[in-house]
Amino acid sequence: MSQTITIDPVTRLEGHGKITIQLDGQGEVESAHFHVTQVRGFERFSEGRPFYEMPGLMARICGICPVSHLIASAKACEAIMSVRIPHTAAQLRRMLNLAQMVQSHALSFFYLASPDLLLGMEADPAVRNVLGVAAAKPEMARAGIALRRFGQHIIELLGDKRIHPGWVVPGGVTEPLAAAKRDEILAMLPEAYANVGLALNVYKQITDEFRDEIEVFANFPSPYLSLINEDESIEFTDGALRLIDAEGNTIEDGMTAARFAEVIGEAVEPYSYTKFPYYKPLGYPEGCYRVGPLARLNIAKTMGTPKADVELAEFKQVAPGPVASSFHYHHARLVEIFYGIEKIEEILADPKILDKHVRATAGVNRLEGAGQAEAPRGVLHHHYKVDENGKMLWANLVIATGQNNNAMNRGVLQAAKHYVKDGKFTEGILNRVEAVVRTFDPCLSCSTHAFGQMPLALELVSAAGEVQDRIRRD
Amino acid sequence: MPTPRVRCLILACGNSLRGDDGVGPWLAAWAEERFRANPDVRVILRQQWTPELAEEIAHAEFAIFIDSSLESDPGETLVVPVAPEPRGAALATHHLSAGELLGLTQELFNFLPRNALLLTVGADSTELKEELSDAVKAALPQACAEIERLALRREANSGP
Repeated sequence: MSQTITIDPVTRLEGHGKITIQLDGQGEVESAHFHVTQVRGFERFSEGRPFYEMPGLMARICGICPVSHLIASAKACEAIMSVRIPHTAAQLRRMLNLAQMVQSHALSFFYLASPDLLLGMEADPAVRNVLGVAAAKPEMARAGIALRRFGQHIIELLGDKRIHPGWVVPGGVTEPLAAAKRDEILAMLPEAYANVGLALNVYKQITDEFRDEIEVFANFPSPYLSLINEDESIEFTDGALRLIDAEGNTIEDGMTAARFAEVIGEAVEPYSYTKFPYYKPLGYPEGCYRVGPLARLNIAKTMGTPKADVELAEFKQVAPGPVASSFHYHHARLVEIFYGIEKIEEILADPKILDKHVRATAGVNRLEGAGQAEAPRGVLHHHYKVDENGKMLWANLVIATGQNNNAMNRGVLQAAKHYVKDGKFTEGILNRVEAVVRTFDPCLSCSTHAFGQMPLALELVSAAGEVQDRIRRD
Repeated sequence: MPTPRVRCLILACGNSLRGDDGVGPWLAAWAEERFRANPDVRVILRQQWTPELAEEIAHAEFAIFIDSSLESDPGETLVVPVAPEPRGAALATHHLSAGELLGLTQELFNFLPRNALLLTVGADSTELKEELSDAVKAALPQACAEIERLALRREANSGP
């Protein structure tokens, strides 16, 4: 008699998802799937709009990473316009994207993951949340809140809005940086360094307590994809894509946005609205890869900033080649926060950062364009086709969470096989299976969040449809 | 303990695309304009109250929370004291109640404003539209007068 365990919705994610675990007649895990149960539809309703509206429209996809959509969309528009944006505009966009990365990673690490890491996977679910962290480790909760504020405030200073700033436009940005705003950001840096330093120290002290989780949390060899600069330093906004194999060998390099669709295909599965991108030469599913902080740190040879390079060197000591366990996404996020703060400081020291020339203008010079950037969760690709008047005819978006879809599913299966035995589960086991997904920090569709509290139910259902066991959180 | 940087903090929330849920944004815009020249009053508007706001509250002598209410009659304006609530089992990353925010402020910063009040306006409809209902529109003058009275009074620790 086969049984199905359903975790619906999965909690502490950006959006709504569901996990089903299918047991065989002996009560052992047979298969497991992570379902994304929301529909986006942004590609379709952008059709017919003027292409220059796209950054503002696309930013509405997400309330956590609108900046990445703004930038990838603006770059796709600039490919249609055939313009190169001014140096200062490129630097300001880079700073905006890094600020978003810092606040998004802070949300993921401090609000969503730290309850598991600091309070324990088996902690009472009633306190296993950010308020529980505030009670048990107030200094960590304060650090998380401050880093969120740091990133959000920079976004607000640059774009005049914390969420969905309209400052990034095709051709550059609408306003140059004022000296007073530069000085305000510089004044925030010491506290930001201190807060991420505290988090890194705490994380390194507790990592050993999670040896079991590290072993089975999506721990398998896979290819990795991320942007990288020509000097092999990490990059979030420009550069080109590199794909490495599980041993760290480069299998695709210098991949521009225009080449993305030649190299990356998209498969679909009947159980999820999210697509499954894969590297075409390897086929599906063998060509599925991972993106995001783990991929970026596995691919980069250097962060390009001295303090973060020390942290990268320590991170790379985890394994002789690419770090395979997705549990280490948490560590990678903290290293990237450190880098983001340091890089922002470096950008603000650019002698041209207050330059007034921040926007190039042009009309439609090509009928097709693509742009890419690193969102906090990984590579984000926008691809547009327009008519000669600039009206949108077609759009395709490849988001980071989709690119991690296969790895999340494999990870859920790996953890479920390890933890669920004889058809029995506990709340702690349920949480660990969810926690595998949380390591990827998937953003399923932030713009359609439910209002209020999300309940969680896990049911064990027999082949006859009878509920044999149930755990529910209200 | 943090040093108060502002005498009165007005914290409004709501979504102007959801009918009467837009009363918070409307009143925040009004308060921003009304107190623009008054350094004692700070106005913050968010679609939802999130944990980051605890730090702002920790620097205020007096907090006025503004929200719509589905429990009151349409247009009914109420002002009630807010007490810090203990930690709940909610996810608490994207939305907190006024009481939970106060509880988090106390937990993190060992500080509470000397007084905290919640002003609510009863909602008639929160369906998708960018206009307030007639009942809520009619309540706006009273709500504005309440906010003005509360924000300008000298004693921050008196009741509603």
